[in-house]
This record gives sequence, C-alpha cells and structure tokens, in this order.
Amino acid sequence: MRRMLCATALIVLAAHAAQAQDITIPVNIDRLSAKAVESVNVTVDGALLQLAAKFLSQSDPEQRAVKNLISNLKGVYVRSFEFAGPGEYSDADVDALRAQLKAPLWSRMVNVRSTRGGENVDVFFKMEKERIAGLVLIAAQPQELTVVNIVGAIDLDQLASLGGHFGIPKVDAGTVHK
Amino acid sequence: MRELDDELRHVLRRESPPAGFAERVAQRAAHGRSPRRLTRWLAAAALVAAIAGGLEYRQIVTARAERAAGEAAKAQVIQALRITAGKLQIVRAKVREVGS
Repeated sequence: MRRMLCATALIVLAAHAAQAQDITIPVNIDRLSAKAVESVNVTVDGALLQLAAKFLSQSDPEQRAVKNLISNLKGVYVRSFEFAGPGEYSDADVDALRAQLKAPLWSRMVNVRSTRGGENVDVFFKMEKERIAGLVLIAAQPQELTVVNIVGAIDLDQLASLGGHFGIPKVDAGTVHK
Repeated sequence: MRELDDELRHVLRRESPPAGFAERVAQRAAHGRSPRRLTRWLAAAALVAAIAGGLEYRQIVTARAERAAGEAAKAQVIQALRITAGKLQIVRAKVREVGS
C-alpha cells in the first residue's frame, strides 16, 4: 500500500514537473538556419538577461522602459529565417514546438491566417494566476519563419510603450488581447 | 747569530692595533653588506609592482569583456523585442482589418 502511494506521488510530481517545464525550441527549427539566406538567432537568458539589464541606462527613458520590461523575464529566444524561395521549411518543422503548447497551461489567444500573403501567425500565452507568464509567437510565411519564445511575466502594455523607439514598431496591446 | 736573533725578535714583536681600528673594520664590513640589501629591496618592490600591475590589468580586461558581453546582450534583447513587436503589429493590423 505504501509503495503504491509513493509511486502515485512520484507520478503526480513528474507530471507537475513536466507541466512546469519551459518551452524549448526544437532542434529542427535551429537546423533551418542552414537553408536560410538570412537568419536571426537570439538566446538571452538568466545571467545574460541580468547583464543586459545592467547595461541599460536608468536615466534614459527609452532604455529604462526596456529595463523594466525585461526585469521580470527569465529568457528571450528568437529564431527568424528568411528563405530564397517557398517550400524550404514545412509545417512538420514547427509541429514539435506546437506540440509543447498544450492547454490548460498554454492557450492560443490569436490566430491570423491570410490567404493573400500566405501569412499565418499564432500567439500563445501561458497564464499563471491571471497573469501572462510566457509568450510564444509563431509567424509563418512562404519565405519566412519566425519563432519567439519569451519566458517570464511579459507586460504587453510595457511592450507597446516601446513602440516607436529602437526601431520597434508601435503595438496596440489592447487589440492583441482581443 | 746573536744579531740575527735580535733582528727577528724586533720584527716579530707584539704590537697593539692603532686606536679605532676595530670600529673601522666593523664599519667597512657593514658598508660591504648594504648593496646586497638594496638589491633585495628593489627586487621585492619590483615583484609587488608587477603583481599589482597584473591584477590591475586583469581587472581592466575583465571589465572590458563584461562591457562587451553586456552591450551584445542588450543589442540582442532589443533585436528580440523589435522582432516580437513587429509580428504583434501584423497581428494587430489583421485583427483591426477583420474588426472593421
């Protein structure tokens, strides 16, 4: 009986740990850089994120805004690829990422499909205690693929406030929430 | 023979050292050691200066590396936010298009 209880407790703990685990960008997405004509690979987490915050000036209003925005983040991961032509990547390359974004932890808040430009954007949020605790964005176009994974409490209002600075376009956070 | 004995006795007679002879010898002996002591002090000072210089250099190199890493991380964060905000902008525009 005691053994059964221990086994059950272990299964529950393992399930909880698996659920709490952060999203990882699959290797096959990273491999796309070999096929891309242009690629961006941003991996900033833990100590590096703190170091970046240290070099953002508190006296400069723009830099202070970025500093505030990243103060609650645990990691920022971006993979963006531009290909010479369509068909260089497939949905299967992104499927391993989509498979990690499961309810109830993750919910797809926005899904934009455009037949005109072939654009397909999905925005997933991880909610914890009614707060956004993570964001994953998958933007797929015939010749472009962008994956963003932001780990930690991201404030979309703060992100919107960065619009117009550092070459960051203006974002209406209210609309994204819809 | 007697003359030779007298002459030898005279030459080998006991004689007291002149006044201040012992002090002069001691003084010369002390002067003889001083350049070696100075060399030791100079070597020690050079070693201390080299260690201090090495530590200072290491600090400068570490600070420079930290600054470079910090600036690179800052640029990466801004680039990531730029891409994210850009994509969210597309979403916003599409949502607005559908809504209108």
